[in-house]
Amino acid sequence: MASTFRSPVLPTWCPGCNNYLVLAGLEKAFQSQKLSPSQVAIAYDIGCAGNMADFIKCYGVHTLHGRSIPVAMGLKIANPKLTVVVVGGDGGIYGEGLNHLVSAVRMDIDITVLVSNNYLYSLTTGQTSPTSPKGAKTKSTPLGTASLPIDGVSLVKSINPKVLAKSVDCQSPPSVIAAIEEGIKHPGFALLDISQFCLAFGKQLVG
Amino acid sequence: MTNFLSLKFAGPAGMGIKSAGQLFSRALIAHGFSVHDYNEYPSLVRGGHNTYQVSFSSQKIFSPHYSVDYFFSLAGGHWQEHLKEFSGDTLVFGDENFNRPPSPAKFISLPIKQIIDSVGNSLVVNTVCLGVIAFLLELDTDIFTDLLSSQYGKLAEVNLNAFHRAYDYAKNNYSPHIRHLSGKKLRSPQILVDGNEAFGWGFLKGGGDFYAAYPMTPATGALHFLAEKQKDHSIIVLHPEDELAVANIGAGAAVAGRRVAVGTSGGGFVLMDETISFCGIAEIGMVYYLVSRPGPATGLPTWTSQGDLLHAVHAGHGEFPKVVLAPGNQEESFAFGQLAINLAVRLQTPVVVVSDKFLAESSASLPNLSRHKTVVNQGKREISPKPGYRRYRLDVPDGISPYTIPGQSDGEFLSNSYEHDEFGFATEDSVVAASMNEKRFKKNATARRLVPQDLLFGPKGASKLIVSWGSPSGPILEMLNRRPLPEYNFLQVRTLWPVSARLPKIIGRYRQIIVVENNQTGQLSALLKSQFSFAPHRQINKFDGRPYYPEELYHLITGQK
Ligand SMILES: Cc1ncc(C[n+]2csc(CCOP(=O)(O)OP(=O)(O)O)c2C)c(N)n1
Ligand code: SF4
Ligand SMILES: [Mg+2]
Repeated sequence: MASTFRSPVLPTWCPGCNNYLVLAGLEKAFQSQKLSPSQVAIAYDIGCAGNMADFIKCYGVHTLHGRSIPVAMGLKIANPKLTVVVVGGDGGIYGEGLNHLVSAVRMDIDITVLVSNNYLYSLTTGQTSPTSPKGAKTKSTPLGTASLPIDGVSLVKSINPKVLAKSVDCQSPPSVIAAIEEGIKHPGFALLDISQFCLAFGKQLVG
Repeated sequence: MTNFLSLKFAGPAGMGIKSAGQLFSRALIAHGFSVHDYNEYPSLVRGGHNTYQVSFSSQKIFSPHYSVDYFFSLAGGHWQEHLKEFSGDTLVFGDENFNRPPSPAKFISLPIKQIIDSVGNSLVVNTVCLGVIAFLLELDTDIFTDLLSSQYGKLAEVNLNAFHRAYDYAKNNYSPHIRHLSGKKLRSPQILVDGNEAFGWGFLKGGGDFYAAYPMTPATGALHFLAEKQKDHSIIVLHPEDELAVANIGAGAAVAGRRVAVGTSGGGFVLMDETISFCGIAEIGMVYYLVSRPGPATGLPTWTSQGDLLHAVHAGHGEFPKVVLAPGNQEESFAFGQLAINLAVRLQTPVVVVSDKFLAESSASLPNLSRHKTVVNQGKREISPKPGYRRYRLDVPDGISPYTIPGQSDGEFLSNSYEHDEFGFATEDSVVAASMNEKRFKKNATARRLVPQDLLFGPKGASKLIVSWGSPSGPILEMLNRRPLPEYNFLQVRTLWPVSARLPKIIGRYRQIIVVENNQTGQLSALLKSQFSFAPHRQINKFDGRPYYPEELYHLITGQK
């Protein structure tokens, strides 16, 4: 089905990448909410997930790495009528920009943050991320990581129990689609931690 | 006969030195004097050694003076490190038995404790000093009564009591020391504003409606001022979690159509650096208000410096157009605050306004800024975009493509930190990449037509030129005004970037060039040398955290006392 939110740019993700599902879920949610592209503003992080910027037609900001949340906050505070979404990866949202996530949760600002959590920095070819399991052997940690992973959902819940925070898995596409719609509808801060396997670099984590 | 005077209050933090100094300045303004204040304080909340200096004249005064005519030591011994500022005409007051200090000044024991005991409140030491100076300058006590009443609310009565008792004490004991200022008083009503407040007013009067900052001395005053203004102006003011958030919230708000400024000092400006670059490529117009203090790193938080010029000019990685303005006084802080936001929106690129502690936290008498008219230029706004709208269209001779804001139908685009095509979609195409860079750089030529001209002061026929920028302009003009030097002119560089193409011609007319900067390495000279053949004969630098004084500059420039 041709979506009014589809840009002329063809997605550049690896065939079978789970971010296609996130993209489809977002389009579906906007349509079911009867939003037009001009009412939506998306702040994208830098990373494979953030590359969705080119594939959607609406108001968008492809921000700096880690800064998608503050840009989204600026958009929303400047114009509360906009539906504001953040699309980013585990590296950008839980690593480089974690402080911003905490602030957005404290404010309970009405934005929806979608974290394509593939437990890696994928765009930079597969280094450890803040969600990689302890001991993960990746390109940047061939001897295994020293640190424990972050659980985004329990982290934000501990800061502000009022926000919507959910963990969903791309192995169950309907749950991802439903959660994105729920997040967009939620009248306050929403975090969706979307667990996914990176086809190109994920094998490092299971090997 | 003298036509200006200087007074200094000194003592530990927490004694109301600044509030007394400001009240005194307001009283002088109400009498029609021109004032210029300067305060020094350590990075402490209680104790230490704080000073507040008020220099005033019946003619326009451009900066504080080094010499002090009246010195009030609010607690024992606070005069000791100021002996060099005293002359035979200086009166030094303190509640102590001065034991022949090594100075020609007159040291006068003022029974502060006795007066505050009679009032029954130990917090009014500062007001006692006001009573004494009001008498010594034969100022109108009604003006002080009004100011004290409105300043102190519930405590007005004890303060008025202290003021009058001190005034009477002075009348009975200090009559021989009465002094008048010569000259004609100013007519138009003035207010007391510091550089931060002036910038804030300017931003508001340029239609600024979104300000974010993370507290950092000496820029914090602008945050406090604008935060208060939320009560009666339609401006949103935020204090986010760090300067990264400040800059990026600002960028998001600017994309959504707000007129945005963010404020900080050097350390926070570094954290905004990547976002400045982002604003460059995504063509987001917003103002970065940089109020310098001495670095490196945490440096001297409450002192002054011009050490960030090159940093401001080179801020942001990569190459993109940018405007850097440097106000030289509080009036220009207002004017450039107003201009900067209009330029940012028109040029769709970052505009940096560089100030410093000396300019931003010193107050001067200015015409009432709240009555100034508002000037709002929306730039090239696309009001009714058609399907196929190209946010970054390349066919624009001035480099400025019409913008839309989220909410407008058919105006959708991607504001992109990646290089992009006319719609904002990322591209790695070599031709598009080069064309986009060229388009953006056309804005430099457009900027040159819109930025403030550099100013030349002094008589015709001078053979020597003093070149400076920013806050030293005040002491330089004060020096030239008080002790005319007909062989000298003064060039104040107001736009640091893009450097004016007129400068080589102006500078080329002089036999001798002297550059004055409040930094160690002569950054303005370095900047000008990078743009044209520039070989100053002398470089005067000061980098101890203190501003220049007119007396000091006279000595440094002429070699005479
Ligand atoms: C300031 C900065 N540091 C580093 C990078 C390089 N970089 C680009 S994407 C990325 C990590 C991406 O990981 P994640 O956010 O998990 O996204 P993914 O690619 O896995 O979807 C990094 C480190 C950058 N663009 N900017
Ligand atoms: S590298 Fe991984 S995350 Fe990136 S597009 Fe390919 S599958 Fe998706
Ligand atoms: Mg990732």
